[in-house]
Amino acid sequence: MKMISFTTKLINFVLTLINFTTKLVKFAITLTSNGHQSGQLSEENADHQADQPACYNNPRFMNKAAFYDLDGTLLSCNLVTTHAYYARNERNMLIGAYQFAKVLFSVPGLFLTDLYSRSHFNIVSYGAYRGMHRDRLVGLADDLFEVTLKPSIFAGAEELVKETRDRGYRNVLVTGTPDFTLRPIALHFGIEDVICNYLEFKDHIATGHMHKPVLAANQKAVAIREYAAREAIDLGQSCAFSDSSADVPMLTAVGNPVATNPTRRLRRIALRNNWPILELRETPSKLPSFLRAAKVL
Amino acid sequence: MKSLGNWRWNPVKGRYEDTLPSAPRGTGEISAIEAFANKTILLLGGTGFVGKVLLAMVLDRFPELKHLVIQVRRKKNVSGEERFYSEVLQSPPLRAIVERMGGEGVVREKVRVVEGDLDQRLCGISSEDTEQLKGKVDIVVNLAGVVDFDPPVNESFETNVYGVKHLIELVELLAAKLVHVSTSYVAGKKDGRIPEDTPIVGYFPMRDALRGKQFSVDDEIHWYERFVEETRATRASNPRPVRERLREGGMKRADDWGWTNTYTYTKSIGEQLIARTPGLTYAIVRPAIVESSLRFPFPGWNEGFTTSAPLVLMGGEGVKHWPVRKNSPLEVIPVDLVAAGILIVTAAVLCEKSRTVYHLASADTNPIMLQRLVAFLGMNARYKYKHKKSGNLLSNWRKAYVETRLVTVEELQAKRAGWHSRMDVIHAVLTLAKTIFGDDRVAPYLKKLRDKRRQIRQQEVTLDKFLPFMIHNSFIFETGNIREAAGMLTNEDLKRLQWDPETIDWADYWVNIHTKGIEKWIRPMFTASRKTAS
Repeated sequence: MKMISFTTKLINFVLTLINFTTKLVKFAITLTSNGHQSGQLSEENADHQADQPACYNNPRFMNKAAFYDLDGTLLSCNLVTTHAYYARNERNMLIGAYQFAKVLFSVPGLFLTDLYSRSHFNIVSYGAYRGMHRDRLVGLADDLFEVTLKPSIFAGAEELVKETRDRGYRNVLVTGTPDFTLRPIALHFGIEDVICNYLEFKDHIATGHMHKPVLAANQKAVAIREYAAREAIDLGQSCAFSDSSADVPMLTAVGNPVATNPTRRLRRIALRNNWPILELRETPSKLPSFLRAAKVL
Repeated sequence: MKSLGNWRWNPVKGRYEDTLPSAPRGTGEISAIEAFANKTILLLGGTGFVGKVLLAMVLDRFPELKHLVIQVRRKKNVSGEERFYSEVLQSPPLRAIVERMGGEGVVREKVRVVEGDLDQRLCGISSEDTEQLKGKVDIVVNLAGVVDFDPPVNESFETNVYGVKHLIELVELLAAKLVHVSTSYVAGKKDGRIPEDTPIVGYFPMRDALRGKQFSVDDEIHWYERFVEETRATRASNPRPVRERLREGGMKRADDWGWTNTYTYTKSIGEQLIARTPGLTYAIVRPAIVESSLRFPFPGWNEGFTTSAPLVLMGGEGVKHWPVRKNSPLEVIPVDLVAAGILIVTAAVLCEKSRTVYHLASADTNPIMLQRLVAFLGMNARYKYKHKKSGNLLSNWRKAYVETRLVTVEELQAKRAGWHSRMDVIHAVLTLAKTIFGDDRVAPYLKKLRDKRRQIRQQEVTLDKFLPFMIHNSFIFETGNIREAAGMLTNEDLKRLQWDPETIDWADYWVNIHTKGIEKWIRPMFTASRKTAS
């Protein structure tokens, strides 16, 4: 028993290490591409943190919504650890080990795809769910949340969601994360609605594909506009929170975009467009959250 | 997962949503709102699990209803009326509804409580009350019944057979219509699809095997009276307790005719009594295994002991070997769907567009297979024991990570024999140790062993009770009639009464609603009753 848990811990450690290195390489790439701006940015950042987001100054309207991206905005929901959790809790330990290995070997591929395009990355990463039973995915979601996701919620995230609700915004999650993982998160934050991806199942077994249309990048903006039309929401009054430059279409779709924990690229765009920048993380360094992820697995 | 079509599960609201506006569904042949307007319903057995939810639904959804008369049994020195206002209205499913309606005063205007007991003539309703109610009650809905699977045969007969006799008398006196709630499992030991149009009178499950034999209600009542008399007369000469012998006698008789237990046997006799009464306008509603509510009054409400609750609790205790048949569905149906179904049938009867029998079940349109349920039971244990720090670490680990398995009855029996012999060995060792180390050092371990044994024996008894539904038989109850009735409602009705077992997402229902409901509402009751028992 000890042996098994030790091995899983070892594998997890290796996994986290790989993940960390991929992030490091990415970081290095972004550094080399716009290295000279970075010092300047951090100074500006301090000013913006003191500012209130623009949407906070609006009067109370019920027909407005706050659209939240999830991963990186409200919490650092590391995709690989999520997959690994589901794989590790497979019904049969052998199948679990197989799924786990699959997740492990998909990491370099995922990394390369992410460099190429975010939407392709999403599509490929859901392939890791192939062969998993829906009952387990739904049934283990609560435990996954308690174990992996809850510790990685950013310090100010709950307060932010509460604030937008108090100001009369309807909170909506717009994310590529599949529906079953979202449920406990949404309940925890008290989020009113979600726009998300749906895995495709055949006889309760995941096929590894998603229901069309797949939510990513451009599609997010389309989904928001559809949602607004259906629910009679004024997009001009609404606000959107996201961390990644891939979500720029979504941010531009609303009247009050907020760059939350922005990546370097998004920070640049935000500064150019005069969008407010919000930092929810306690520490700007990513290292502690990774260590935490390694610990909980 | 069936093809979702336009339906998308909303994980936050925990329900399916139509992405496209749905077309009107009801044809409007029956209007429940019109049917209930200015009508008076007499409800029998409104204090039970289904009864409370039905009561809440009527009060909440149909303000048009003129009067609701509820029969409540007296309990020792608490009058029926007192019991209704202090117990029933204060129960979790009704409290919020009553508040929303505007307090107890509003309920008092609409509801009238009469004291009564099904075991007595005219259901024990006093002659003044019946005089007042005569001609005013439009329909009687009977939910009362003894739902224990194997009670002493007299208890079961008194309510499920004689109670129905008294009910028929009452209905005839009041000149009302009747909706009688029975159970799907009156079908007995059968396999496959159970139709709704099998003739009721003279039915017994072994009819195909025992050709030439006739089943007659009068003969059964005659047998019962003689059997009880004989058993009681031999009290002195027979050393076994009368209660046990009555229990066994009922089960034996039920088994001879092909029924699974005394409960289904007596319920079937009750149905036949109603069916053979000439001139009665009636419908029989047969729910399957009634489980936690899906939506109304809130998700996860449960107080039924004779549901799958014991199985779910056993799963939570870490039982790993489940004797179930693969690819056979368990016929479960959430209690709020049952309440809605009964109200739809009531409306249909009031409009005189009803059929005789209505199955309320799910497997016809959306089956949940037993092997999936067994996996859910294992997951529940994983949840509970994974993070548990106290107790034996090894056993916690086993309970969390060893998965549930499907076994045959023979394998299970072999397993049980193994456990018992191992425990015998441990017992012997402990007794030996007692003589060496002294009583006070070993006594705690002996007590632990005793507790463990009692727990295992209890689990065995519970499991054996459920075997007919899990491995011996595989039922699919056809539900065409209720779907037809629901299709005849108006669109306005369909907003208030939903019959949609085909949209239940079983994974979400079982894990997030049902299991949590049982852990919240049933576990405390269960542990409390076990403590008093021991």
